[in-house]
Amino acid sequence: MRVARLWNKLANPKNIPRLFAFVLGVILVVGFLVPFDLNIDQIYIRSAPQAQVDAGIAIAPYDRGGEVLKEPGISMAQYPENAPELGMVNSYMSPLALWVSSVSPYFGTTIYSSPGGLIDEILYYTRGFDTILESSILMMAFIIASWLAVNYTMNRKNDKKEIRSDMKMAIKDSNKVASEVKLRDIKARNKQMKRDN
Amino acid sequence: MSFEVLGGNLLGTIPFGDIVLYLTPFNLFMFVVLLIFTFLIAVSKTETQVEASLVKLENTNKNVGKKEFHQRRFLAVICGIASAGAMITGDLFDFTLFMALVGILNIGIVSAVRQVSVLNSAFHYGLIAMMCSLPLFGGAAIILAATGTLSLDILSTMHTTPMIIFGALLMLIGVIGESGVAPFFATKAEMFRTPGSPFIIIIHLSSLFIIIRAVEIFLLVLM
Repeated sequence: MRVARLWNKLANPKNIPRLFAFVLGVILVVGFLVPFDLNIDQIYIRSAPQAQVDAGIAIAPYDRGGEVLKEPGISMAQYPENAPELGMVNSYMSPLALWVSSVSPYFGTTIYSSPGGLIDEILYYTRGFDTILESSILMMAFIIASWLAVNYTMNRKNDKKEIRSDMKMAIKDSNKVASEVKLRDIKARNKQMKRDN
Repeated sequence: MSFEVLGGNLLGTIPFGDIVLYLTPFNLFMFVVLLIFTFLIAVSKTETQVEASLVKLENTNKNVGKKEFHQRRFLAVICGIASAGAMITGDLFDFTLFMALVGILNIGIVSAVRQVSVLNSAFHYGLIAMMCSLPLFGGAAIILAATGTLSLDILSTMHTTPMIIFGALLMLIGVIGESGVAPFFATKAEMFRTPGSPFIIIIHLSSLFIIIRAVEIFLLVLM
């Protein structure tokens, strides 16, 4: 195939996600060949797998030590000078969580065992700016979706004229698409006929 | 390579816990330029496209409605601020989040357009943006696993391993897809074919600046 024809194919938005998915797939397959080296010296540390379970701690694997507001637990920050109170709420759990962890030895493995204090440390203290950004991504998505829903589907009582013109435009566009589809259909059928004969 | 080599003298930092924003002449320049553009876009009015009518001897004006105008201006301003933030951030994961925010705002700016072809290409861009979240965040996660840190300042002093290179490659494909660089330009280029010019421009501008910043980040991590 000539390069010019390839470029023309790239100009069609329909082909782009497919091409992108293909390229991404190739790179991910290459990833299998890359030697795996994990740096043990992590900033967001956890203890070795199963170590806390074997020790019989009820909130395994989330135990980070410390006492709320008295003694800091083991949290690390990249820049400790920016987080002087680090680790102070590490071991915080809600009264319900405290009760469940006193009753069940498997508290850490359940769905309601979100390690409250630990999440506060990382999400809201050392990496708070990330959390702001994450929620603003969500907020923007909701703003876009709700604006479209309110203005283009729900609240259209007063713009009958606009609906009529939109309808005309939509019919025109869909006619265009339909004729394209028809053309492609005929082409495909011809190809099939040629193959059959 | 350190910040000083690429961006000039470090003028100061803005610390937010682990995430530190770096102010070097290079980053600060891009930050200020983007904010100026955002301001210009915020105070300007939309253009009107004039098209020749078929059969009749007159022109058709294509305007942007008032409600649509407000929505687009809001999203364009947020997009400008988000890309300005990506210029000075000193954290790898923070950069990918800014990139994802810019991606979703790009779709939002054209989402209110009533042209099937534009919406169609925006849909295809959205598909790519969704796919991009895997290489973007995955790449950052792989770099975190391989080095143990996300701070660009510390990453710039580490020597590279094959896994860091692979993480950077993943991030690169994410940035390329999300900002619509060749050969994935068609979806974004088709999105521009609609009235509402100054707001549409920020789609182009943000990806332009973010690509420059991404190149700086890759140099910091890999060199």
